[in-house]
Amino acid sequence: MISRQRPLPEESGYGNLKQGLLFTAPWLLGMLLFTLLPALLSFYYSFHDYSVLTEPIFVGTGNYQDLAKDETFRTSLTNTLLFGVMALPGATLLALVLAFLIESTRYLKGLFQVLFFIPSLVPLVVVALLWQFIFRADVGIANAILEKLFRVFGLEQVGLTEGPNWLGSTLWSKPALVVTFLWAAGQPMVIYLAGLQDIPQNLYDTAEMDGANWFQKTRHVTLPLLSPLIYFNLIVGTIGILQVFTVPYVMMGPQGDPLRSSLFYLMYLFDQAFRKLNMGYACAMAWLLFVVIALLTYGAHKVAERRVFHREE
Amino acid sequence: MKSESRASRLLKQLKSGEGQPRMVVRNLHGRPNMTPLADPRIAALRWLKRVIVGCGLLLFTFLFLFPLAWMILTSLKPAGEVLMAPPTFIPSEFLFSNYEDALRAVTVGQYFGNTLYLALLNMFGTLLSSTLAAYGFACIRWRGRDTLFVLTITTMMIPFPVLMVPLYSMFQEIGWVGTFKPLWVPSFFGNAYAIFLLRQFFLTIPRDVLECARLDGCSEFRIFWQVVLPLSKPALASVALFSFLATWNDLLGPLVYLTDQNQYTLMLGLQDFATRQSGSSMNLLAALGLMMTLPVVILYIWGQNTFLKGMPHPVFRS
Amino acid sequence: MKRLPQNVLWVVGSFLLIGFVFAWGSGCNNISPTPTEQANSTESPTEKIKLVYWEKWDHFEAEAMKRLVEDFNASQDRIEVEYVRLVDIRTKTLLAVAGGRPPDIAGLFPEVLPLYAEKEAILPLDGLMERDNINASRYLPVIFSLCQHEGHTWGLPTTPTSLALYYNKRLFREAGLDPQKPPRTLEELQSMARRITRYNEDGRIERLGFSPELPRWFRLWWIHWFGGRLWDGEGRMTLDSPEAIAMLEWVQSFPITFGTESLQRFHATEGPFNSAQNLFIAGRVGMQLQGVWMANFIERNNPNLEWDVAPFPTANSGGHPVTIVNCDVLVIPRGSRHPEEAWEFIRFVQMQKNMERLCRDQWKFSPLVQVSESFYANHPHPRIQMFRTLSESPGAVPAPRPVIIEEVREEVYHALDSVWLLQATPHEAAQRAQVRLQGDLEQQLTQWKRVEKMRRLSWLELMPAREALEQQSASTLPGEGKLP
Repeated sequence: MISRQRPLPEESGYGNLKQGLLFTAPWLLGMLLFTLLPALLSFYYSFHDYSVLTEPIFVGTGNYQDLAKDETFRTSLTNTLLFGVMALPGATLLALVLAFLIESTRYLKGLFQVLFFIPSLVPLVVVALLWQFIFRADVGIANAILEKLFRVFGLEQVGLTEGPNWLGSTLWSKPALVVTFLWAAGQPMVIYLAGLQDIPQNLYDTAEMDGANWFQKTRHVTLPLLSPLIYFNLIVGTIGILQVFTVPYVMMGPQGDPLRSSLFYLMYLFDQAFRKLNMGYACAMAWLLFVVIALLTYGAHKVAERRVFHREE
Repeated sequence: MKSESRASRLLKQLKSGEGQPRMVVRNLHGRPNMTPLADPRIAALRWLKRVIVGCGLLLFTFLFLFPLAWMILTSLKPAGEVLMAPPTFIPSEFLFSNYEDALRAVTVGQYFGNTLYLALLNMFGTLLSSTLAAYGFACIRWRGRDTLFVLTITTMMIPFPVLMVPLYSMFQEIGWVGTFKPLWVPSFFGNAYAIFLLRQFFLTIPRDVLECARLDGCSEFRIFWQVVLPLSKPALASVALFSFLATWNDLLGPLVYLTDQNQYTLMLGLQDFATRQSGSSMNLLAALGLMMTLPVVILYIWGQNTFLKGMPHPVFRS
Repeated sequence: MKRLPQNVLWVVGSFLLIGFVFAWGSGCNNISPTPTEQANSTESPTEKIKLVYWEKWDHFEAEAMKRLVEDFNASQDRIEVEYVRLVDIRTKTLLAVAGGRPPDIAGLFPEVLPLYAEKEAILPLDGLMERDNINASRYLPVIFSLCQHEGHTWGLPTTPTSLALYYNKRLFREAGLDPQKPPRTLEELQSMARRITRYNEDGRIERLGFSPELPRWFRLWWIHWFGGRLWDGEGRMTLDSPEAIAMLEWVQSFPITFGTESLQRFHATEGPFNSAQNLFIAGRVGMQLQGVWMANFIERNNPNLEWDVAPFPTANSGGHPVTIVNCDVLVIPRGSRHPEEAWEFIRFVQMQKNMERLCRDQWKFSPLVQVSESFYANHPHPRIQMFRTLSESPGAVPAPRPVIIEEVREEVYHALDSVWLLQATPHEAAQRAQVRLQGDLEQQLTQWKRVEKMRRLSWLELMPAREALEQQSASTLPGEGKLP
């Protein structure tokens, strides 16, 4: 918990309500205007039929009932969860591996760090267009390389001659997006790397003196000390992934082709809100998302209480 | 005046990196009971590890850079060649004129101006308002501060879609839809993530420094401006970079709020070009994409060292 | 305590800075003039009224319209129209109306008019038409019907189109077919498609006879060539009809014959529509359903292509040739700051001389009944007469325009995709679409019954120059059945 404040002598500058409010005033105003008020309004609209063009009409829980019946909504929710289950552990693992690799090398640390981070700097629209082209059937490079690899390793005998139908099949559209996501997920790597460099050498020395090998050091020193960062990244990552929009929107089209297999939650919400102007319905969707995120965060928090390593204050 | 020098001494100490709080590890259980040996087996293992690390780094370098290389090569191919099956890797001829064609097809200059305008405003706004708020949360004690800070953290959890529709209708109400304002004005009222990040950084500044300054009779704003901010340059740079990148990258905001072609940002312009009914050729798209990526990469490499120092150290005190 | 005022000063100072930035910002982006600026501009005769016109056309088609815009701007000294090309115009226009900053004129497709009308996003034009004597009889009936919804006219046409089969005569010859004898039935189309199709040595499709997915623009309408329709025009969707199922079976027969993935791979080699890499223009596709404009694109990208057109074959031989007639419409979005001036531009485009110029430049026929002799004589499209005749034949169907167009489009596309990917039988796909859309349609109809009175009243309120109508039919209120 953030430590309770004690009343402290005025002359040392403590307990200064005016000062505190003055400094935080812009933010407090902003929080009120651009976060809390809209959040409440959103809740209000979620019980209304609202198109911006006409006044909201009260429909009770109608929007939520419609949501329960809406098959496309369910598809978008499942897609998003599936994508998260595939992408988030993958991205965490990849980021950890990259951070370990960079930390373990003696030369060119800075260079590798930049190299692995550059894909994350590529604007998402560009990322989407680039990978759409890479995965494109026949003219894309992904399958050209895969097919060459199959030939080199003699996998033709076991029937592997063609690469997956990345963009055209309902089975492969999500994996294609996961690959794209992993490529551009360098942000956590930088955070882990900073965390690794933060671990005092004397801890390793102590462990080594106790005869710990590399694996044991990782297991008992590195990972525990990184766990707050991993936890942080998982939370941020979850919130981010539930709101994934730009890449699938540009790469797979607004309807999440093929057959809505890449229609994600926010894409469907956007479609309802800004293409069909069903703003009330979209607000109901948004509030459900909020509940999901709150539940997930709470769950993660419960787990973290036991598992995450806390530094002593 | 004696105290003044005390403060500056502390400042110097801080800048030179001395007196940083050392971490204490609470539990390191399960220590194996083995004797450390400098035998040849360990040397061999070390060597093996080096090979694995080297190979891993090379593999990942290839995986991460290959798509970019492919994009660069694609941007130089003739329009017919990008549709060849199987694809060629090296262009049959290097057409640098693709870049000219791309610039002719899309008014990149104008989009660039719009994007830069928004990105700079957002960067400036976020820095200004978020540092003020973070100072209020980190360096001043006042009643209700912690409650408000917890509230701030909680707002980070509210997904943007919840706010998207009401914000749209609010901005529509005051006639801001179709202008740049919805895309930058909110940044002048702070950003929860930036405030959190900055507060964490401000907390690492030893209280003594602030106390000394206060005892010297400095006003809070002077402490903020002349003590805390100069010490927090890396964090400021990080926040600036994040905010810049967020604006540069944003598609959803411009997609919703901008309708006039003259106002398009780079991302919206690119998306627009890619989805034209008459279609767009991949070589031109790749050329445009590269042109939009390059400035960010240069910016990052240029400021890399500063940014990295300011990366968040979010040791959660839940 | 002494310190406090200084602090206040600092913080107030930084807020002043914010204020300054605000002012700077608003000074920087006055792209659309504020009401006060407009007031000034209308007062002084030297300042022209600026109209923003959103249109979907690109490249040479845009050039054709821009020439007309220039003519209009030169024809008077009061109004200046600016042509703005837009992607995804139907979403953007609706969003701009919702946001309160719409363009003054927008060039849409008629299929969205009912939806826009019921969202109160566009203005009914009956009053203006009555006042300025522009009546329905000027237009081909099928075209004018596209501009109507619930007794009001919501837009006026620019260029019309009808659809027909473009085919490559050289590929016909090489497959041993007679280039003078295009397919008459869908069965013939299929067998010819099979004969034209060639594979290269590694099994890829090198050239394809026909694909219902090339292009994907007309997918919603395939059902009409089977004698069916999407809905009965009132309260029932007809996607479970035998015709709909036959249509889905026909679509599915292509992936069954050629393989879904082979076709997808072939489609992936297609370049931009307006380029020499367009598969039909490149001579790699034998036959394609296309609009009247296609000749223009062929001519500009590959003038050596030996092509011809014929009515698109139907499921049953005999009977009239079937085509879908569609057009582009100009509308005045609600919230346009200058509806009168926008109307002036629309009226300018409707003048026979101007309309003919536009349609000729875009290689299309004229939507007007009266046509000057020189129009067809000097027309660049070698088969323009066929398209015009087609559009007036009894088999010509105006493009269907349900109010729930977005839902219909999505569900029908979904059905087509699922049979294309062989993930559903035609029967299953049809049933699914039928059930979902019937629900949507009924919901929309109940909604409509609830708001109909209110809506008709607000339409009247929205209508510019409604006095003209009231004078004309003083006894009956417009919108209650008497009007066109």
